Amino acid sequence: MIELIGDKILWNWWSPVWLVALLVTIAYGRRFGWKNHAKTAWLTTGLAVLVFAFVSPLGVLADGFLFSAHMIQHLLLLLVVPLCLVLSLPVVKSGAFPPAGGLSRLLSKPVVGWLLGLGAMWFWHVPAFCNAATESYAIGIVRSVSFLLTGILFWWPIYSPSKESRLPASNAVVYLFSACLGCTLLGIYITFTTITVCPAFASPEERLAMMTALYDAGMTSAVDQQLGGLLMWVPPCSLYVFAIISVLCRWYSVDDTEALALQAKTMVEASS
Amino acid sequence: MSASSAEASGETPSKDPVSGRLLSWVSTVDHKKIGILYISTALVFLGIGGLEALLIRVQLLFPNNTFLSPGLFNQMFTMHGTTMVFLVGMPVLIGFQNYFVPLMIGARDVAFPRLNAMSYWLLPFGGILLYFSFMTGQAPDAGWFSYAPLSTKPYNLMPAQDYWIIGLICLGIGSVAAAINIFVTVLQCRAPGMSLQRVPLFVWMSLMTAILTILALPALNAALAMLMIDRLLGAAFFEPARGGSALLWQHYFWVFGHPEVYILILPAFGMISEVIPVFSRKPIYGYAFVAGSSAVIVLLSYGVWAHHMFAVGLGMGADMFFAVGTLLIALPTGLKIFNWTATMWGGSIRLTTSMMFAVAFLLEFVIGGLTGVMFAAVPIDWQLTDTYFVVGHFHYVLIGGTVFGVFSATYYWFPKMTGRMLSERLGKWQLWLWVFGLNATFLSQHVLGVMGMPRRVYTYAEPGWMALNAIAGAGAVAMAAGTLVLLLNVWVSLRKGERSGDNPWGGFTLEWATTSPPPPENFDVIPRVESRRPVWDLDHPDSADSKFEKTPEDNGWRPDKSVTSVWAFVASEAMFFLLLLVSYVVFNTDQTGDIRSASVLDVARTGLFSIALLGSSFTLWRAESLLKAGRIPQFRRWLMLTIVLGSIFIGGQAIEYYGLISSDVTIDDNLFTATFFTVTGFHGLHVIVGLIALSILLGLAVKQDRNVLSGTALKAVGVYWHFVDVVWIAVFCIIYLRFLQ
Ligand code: HEM
Ligand SMILES: [Cu+2]
Repeated sequence: MIELIGDKILWNWWSPVWLVALLVTIAYGRRFGWKNHAKTAWLTTGLAVLVFAFVSPLGVLADGFLFSAHMIQHLLLLLVVPLCLVLSLPVVKSGAFPPAGGLSRLLSKPVVGWLLGLGAMWFWHVPAFCNAATESYAIGIVRSVSFLLTGILFWWPIYSPSKESRLPASNAVVYLFSACLGCTLLGIYITFTTITVCPAFASPEERLAMMTALYDAGMTSAVDQQLGGLLMWVPPCSLYVFAIISVLCRWYSVDDTEALALQAKTMVEASS
Repeated sequence: MSASSAEASGETPSKDPVSGRLLSWVSTVDHKKIGILYISTALVFLGIGGLEALLIRVQLLFPNNTFLSPGLFNQMFTMHGTTMVFLVGMPVLIGFQNYFVPLMIGARDVAFPRLNAMSYWLLPFGGILLYFSFMTGQAPDAGWFSYAPLSTKPYNLMPAQDYWIIGLICLGIGSVAAAINIFVTVLQCRAPGMSLQRVPLFVWMSLMTAILTILALPALNAALAMLMIDRLLGAAFFEPARGGSALLWQHYFWVFGHPEVYILILPAFGMISEVIPVFSRKPIYGYAFVAGSSAVIVLLSYGVWAHHMFAVGLGMGADMFFAVGTLLIALPTGLKIFNWTATMWGGSIRLTTSMMFAVAFLLEFVIGGLTGVMFAAVPIDWQLTDTYFVVGHFHYVLIGGTVFGVFSATYYWFPKMTGRMLSERLGKWQLWLWVFGLNATFLSQHVLGVMGMPRRVYTYAEPGWMALNAIAGAGAVAMAAGTLVLLLNVWVSLRKGERSGDNPWGGFTLEWATTSPPPPENFDVIPRVESRRPVWDLDHPDSADSKFEKTPEDNGWRPDKSVTSVWAFVASEAMFFLLLLVSYVVFNTDQTGDIRSASVLDVARTGLFSIALLGSSFTLWRAESLLKAGRIPQFRRWLMLTIVLGSIFIGGQAIEYYGLISSDVTIDDNLFTATFFTVTGFHGLHVIVGLIALSILLGLAVKQDRNVLSGTALKAVGVYWHFVDVVWIAVFCIIYLRFLQ
């Protein structure tokens, strides 16, 4: 197995993703600077995961060979990378961010974030689209970009850098819980259905040595799809549960200024 | 118990003392009386279920016993399990929630007192239906989880199974209604100052239990509805011989069943989270962790159901993921033990009976939890599933957890409910009888399970198993005796128990701020709430929590009662439809045969009627905004138009059904027709209910009723109506447009 992973074919060192990472780094540095180490760490993690998702064997196998590898890549792009990127944005004071244009106001609406985030997940698993994105390089890029963008919109209402545009705790829990329900349904469907969700993976054009080894170890395309479905289901839900935990922590902590503001508000209400 | 506590509460019965007092109980809408009714009813069924357990133990006392026939044995364990879960466990917990949640949050009553009474009366109704099956010559006998195909018609001809289904549907509806009530009560009726981060943990756990109930019971209801359609209308959802899937029943049952075990344990967690701090004279250690981890339990509990199905062959991948999920959920469950222990650490502990039951809870629950975690290892589960080891596991958690929690709460709160103390001496007797009984019975069963004794088999040949079974029998007798001691204790105390005063234990939370028993309106004045322990603050102004520990302030947010309750109801219904639709997808991914959606459904026609339904959502939305703008005549017109459009849709469905049935396409043809009629039929019923609600609103609006004109009623019905439309969009896409096929 180890030699197989060392196989040169499995590493895509010349992927253009490096360029994307570089551009993001430059843009980030110019806009926000590098003073805040925690934020820098989030950015680094996000970009590292992004690069990993395309350069490593994971990225290569996801490109038409293993459905389950595709699924991991999908989750990294849709959930992990955007989460890290959103968390890497420095906290801003009220009203400063995002620029209050019509479109961005619409996009930062929770309903929109939820629908787009979950929508991307479902849409790209309709057999026809899944196939197209796997077989055509261009559509594949569209898919990856849409994952990253909708992912950012999905996490925005939870971890937005401006406290005002974050959902209140109870709504945030419902938001995340229903998202978990959404990917559970999709995961169950992919796991148990008799349909081949992404036929491109069932019969890859060329075989890699790695694939033969995996096939011999029992990784048939049916097992591959089952594993993919379970990956669609359990890891995202676990991530949502961790997000819920962080929301609850925020909710139970007493932020002095906030508490005082609320107190003032209740006093005003009581006196009126 | 009921009649005498009415006496204790100093009720003045009307004319005829006996019938007047009885009437006051039957017609009550007071949450405290309803709570007591729940608890007393549970006690009656505890007696019945306990008797069934004793009969089972007698039968298993020695090898090849013939005391019970095999058939009767099956009926006994089925009725024992069903009774204990649905007629004892849930009701007694709902009873305590009913009594104490409003008191602990400083409310005068629950949010919907009449709904509360209805929920309660569904309990005896469902219980009697279930037990009425005995009159048909035979009780249900397919186990408390009624696995298909054993529960389907070919294997189970007697009407008993139908009584089981209908009884459980009644109980399920009652539980959901009660849960919605508690949910809204906690959100809406809290005293000023009590933010959700400050509610007593029992209240928080009740809220979590309510959410679990609202979202889990519909899974059972959907499964029951399908089973009933199988049995009464000849469909074949769960009959493998005719293409159905027995496994689907298992999935649906455990999607309900695993959350159910948390419905049974979370309130008990709440109870000991009240008792332990008070008798340690310390606040709970790690309030936020105890509360927050329970929220996590609620979420995770929907994702581990398949650990009850490791033996059916779900495949390696699925087994592995569910095993990991099971280990994960054990974390927030198990770590709380440390919170309770740390609360006792360094406290000035008073070992009252109540506290001793709480400590016994900690010890016994850990044993049950550990054996649960053992099952999470799939190969161990394969070895032990369907043996007495499983029976041992869940009785440790249910008795050591739920029952001991309830006993602890009983000794803690009885003085509040009646104004009299229970005897500590009798209490200790009860405690030791139960601790001995629990361990004797269920430790033996663990060993028997490892030795290979299967559960649910009426006898055994192995002479070596006799000694342990005898010990188990002795334990059962001890638990029965312990229960009699409790009854004696209550009886004596109600007659000549020591007066308790308002706050005999130095309790911290609001229920101790009023008299024992509380007056019908609960409070004269509600103390200021500035921390998690308002009564402590009141009694100890110098060391008040509010001075030393900051907790998030109440921001005054109280959602509207009717709209919140409709949202909760809609969430529950959404789960119900979701499961029905899942069954459609499962059975119709590849359709073959002459009767399938492509060949019998007229998509264009139904599409037209669907536009009418969707249009009605728009007109209702118009009506709402017109009402808000105060333009009453126009509002009435648009409301009328909504009703007309909805009726057109129903008319369309009637035409469709008529066409299908007259060309001999009926529900019992194949799995397509079964799922089709079930999904659209239930949807149609919902549309009709919505139409009735809208018509009532229209009638009231014509009469210038103030409630309607204020708009909240319309908003509530509106949420429901839009929901029904959204469901239809999903139904139309999946069934008519054949998405996912
Ligand atoms: C500490 C965490 C727990 C874990 C990891 C756990 C795990 C399990 C597993 C894997 C089974 C299936 C055994 C089998 O049939 O092969 C099981 C059965 C069961 N558990 Fe637990 N459990 C836990 C806590 C609880 C609690 C707190 C309750 C209830 C208060 C409970 C009630 C039950 C019941 C009723 C069954 C048996 C259902 C039946 O087959 O009739 N468990 N548990
Ligand atoms: Cu379980």
